[in-house]
Amino acid sequence: MSDATLPDTATPRPVPFRGGGFRPVAKRGVGLAVFVVLLLVIEWGTRAGWIGNLTLPRPSDVGAALVELYQSGMLWTHLGPSLARLAVGSLLGISAGIGVGVLIGLFSYIRAGLVPLVAALFPIPKIALLPLFVIWFGIDEGSKYALIALGTFTPTVVSTYGAVDNVDRALVRMGQSFGLGWWSIVRKIILPGALPGILSGLRVSLAIGIILLVAAEMLGAEHGIGAYVLQAGSLYDLERLFAGVVILSALGVVTSWVIGLVEKRLLRWRG
Amino acid sequence: MTTFTRRGALGLAGGAAVLPLLGAPALANTKTTVGALRFTSHAASFVAFERGYFTDEGLDVDFKFFEAAQPMAVAIASRDADFGVTSITGGLISLAEKGAAKVIGGALSEEKGIDGQMILASNAAYEAGLTAPDQLDGKTFAVTQPGSSFHYMGAKIAAAEGASLSFKPLQKVGAIIGAMKSGQVDAWTIVPHIGKALTGGGAVQQIGMVADYLPGYQVTTLFTSAQNAENDRAKTEAFLRAFSRGADDFNAALVDKTAGDDAAEEMVKLVHKYVYTDRPYDKAKPSIVNGAMRINKNAALNMASVEDQLGWFKSEGLVKDSITTETLVDSSYAEAI
Amino acid sequence: MDLTLANITHHYSGLPVLQDISLHIPAGQILCIVGPSGCGKSTLLRLIGGLERPDEGDVLQLGAPPPDCLNPLTYVFQDFALLPWRTVRGNISLVLEDHGLKGAEAERIISDVLARTNLSDFGKALPRQLSGGMKQRVAIARALAVNPAAMLLDEPLSALDAQTRELLMEDLLALWARQPFTGIYVTHNLSEAVRLGHSIAVLSRRPGRIREVITIDTPPPDRRAGDARLDEVQAHLWSLMRDEAKAADQELLNV
Repeated sequence: MSDATLPDTATPRPVPFRGGGFRPVAKRGVGLAVFVVLLLVIEWGTRAGWIGNLTLPRPSDVGAALVELYQSGMLWTHLGPSLARLAVGSLLGISAGIGVGVLIGLFSYIRAGLVPLVAALFPIPKIALLPLFVIWFGIDEGSKYALIALGTFTPTVVSTYGAVDNVDRALVRMGQSFGLGWWSIVRKIILPGALPGILSGLRVSLAIGIILLVAAEMLGAEHGIGAYVLQAGSLYDLERLFAGVVILSALGVVTSWVIGLVEKRLLRWRG
Repeated sequence: MTTFTRRGALGLAGGAAVLPLLGAPALANTKTTVGALRFTSHAASFVAFERGYFTDEGLDVDFKFFEAAQPMAVAIASRDADFGVTSITGGLISLAEKGAAKVIGGALSEEKGIDGQMILASNAAYEAGLTAPDQLDGKTFAVTQPGSSFHYMGAKIAAAEGASLSFKPLQKVGAIIGAMKSGQVDAWTIVPHIGKALTGGGAVQQIGMVADYLPGYQVTTLFTSAQNAENDRAKTEAFLRAFSRGADDFNAALVDKTAGDDAAEEMVKLVHKYVYTDRPYDKAKPSIVNGAMRINKNAALNMASVEDQLGWFKSEGLVKDSITTETLVDSSYAEAI
Repeated sequence: MDLTLANITHHYSGLPVLQDISLHIPAGQILCIVGPSGCGKSTLLRLIGGLERPDEGDVLQLGAPPPDCLNPLTYVFQDFALLPWRTVRGNISLVLEDHGLKGAEAERIISDVLARTNLSDFGKALPRQLSGGMKQRVAIARALAVNPAAMLLDEPLSALDAQTRELLMEDLLALWARQPFTGIYVTHNLSEAVRLGHSIAVLSRRPGRIREVITIDTPPPDRRAGDARLDEVQAHLWSLMRDEAKAADQELLNV
């Protein structure tokens, strides 16, 4: 045993650092950079030829298609009807969904009766029902509203009754202990308490609404972003197809942002 | 090299009948995939397969069946199929523009005197006064998709009558039939074997014929990948020869009816192997006979009609203005009429 | 208003949790209920306040509550039970609204109870901005707003740290000294019971039975640390509970 192998006990040494890592840190701009790099690579690839023109459109051409769409005024011709369909359809579906969801959350009989029905409706591909809706509600706006309404209805019901179930029962007991009426408890405790869950459910519901917008515009729509995308697809016009997809994504980002604003406003108490 | 040049020349000049008399085929068991729809209009391929005309040419053919023309065009572009028959659609033109597909010949044509595509009105619209195409102004017209052949026909009829139509995309022929029966749309055009079945049952009314507006309309064309058209000339010519023999048999049996009743009966039986297979022969027969439209001899292509169609797609902004007939058609294979 | 519990027995899904409990709480006095965890203390409190119905026995009110009393039996909960989306004033206003008290009259009551609990400056704050002790003071202010005939306090200090507990205990004693209220105070903390209770009921572990009721004659506000009688009571309570607590601790949590 030589001295060299023994730790030097006389000199003080700093404690080695063993912590750190394993904690996500907000890095600004990285997401945007990834996006930009991806677009640049695709642009380069399509120009150099190692990405075939059947595989992906050139990003600059997609941009040009968007500009052309805007300058020709067709953007609003397509966006207007689509926004109206999305607004009316999801308004119907979401308000009915919140109503039914609250009823399921409050009444055991309604829960027992409707939860299996909602579970049965949820996985039905609503697109498959489109021909039926055309017969029920007509080929014009009625069937499109119905499709989007049904599509947003089921997820809203599920998230709403889940949110009602998750309201702190201690708060309800508090309300009862102070002699609050049934309606007061629903209005002042259950509904505000369920609001965060309902709003985050709306994000999902509205995204489904946008997906179904394209499906709704398959039948009998002359104008609309969905019709535009489908037309570009059937013409194998990749630039316009992607331009439409960009608009749909933007629509998704905007609705998500609006819900974020509503959340910020209505849920200020969460901090 | 000399062999197949001679054969190609003979194939075009001498027609199909003499070809089996020639020696061994230039190609030996070349695997070939042919896209087809289960429609009477695709009968020439079925005849060529069943009667061994493909094998005579050394082609080992597999059929790949599609539900609609559009995916077939995409399958050719992606090289999942070698040859196909479909109408000229915006999608096909766009694929040609991207250097993925080429029209190499003509198939189904409108011809006065032979029952062709019909103009239909829904019962509700008919009762409201849509009894002839000149009443179309302000009506709705069903199409599968914008840029489909239905869209082209509707627009050309409307232009001839000075009518303004609103086009309703319904994606599938089945959906259109439902919408026509329930009066959700006013008018439509369709091939006779479907149209006659509908009018026969009183579900819709016939108000005219497409041939009156688009005489010589080149309804469907033969097409292949640009790769085949350019680099695999032997195979492409072999396919065209075999297809033309099938077409001649079909025309003789069911369109010109020069081959006699037995040949007609035999032809219907052959086609029934592929078309209306879910129906008993007795029920399928009238539909097959009704659906018989002329398939161009030697896959000749009506260039005037092709140019008219291309021009319309361009004028509607459905395809790029820069596309020329040369981009779409490889005219080195079939004669133009 | 006096409260009387007569032979209360209660089960949860067939398992007895409380057996034959009889107690009397005179007006203006505080009864502390202590016992090992799981002895049914909180259940008993819910039975007294009418949030649950006993299987057998009765909870009886003797005499009328005072005329300006809005909610005779009023709880203060361990977890405060404040609505997070309402401000301090809003949380107190909640329990007045249903009694038709709005506007100036409600504002007067709210300001009064906030002053009594030293919260006057925090009326517009949201619960998340408050410390635990402050939250419990809001809950106490809310209870005071309905002018209860009896306060049912369910371990009100258990969720707080030791210093806050001490401060809030002083607040409670001051409130009682100013206007004696009838109180039932459930706790597992023996020193809290000895500080606050006119009488202390000791429950056995499940099923909860009354082992003993101990009375302390010194009025709560006059009790001082180091008082021999109080230490003796606390030691006695511990000796009663020690073995029960040990046994309760080793039970499997199967309910």
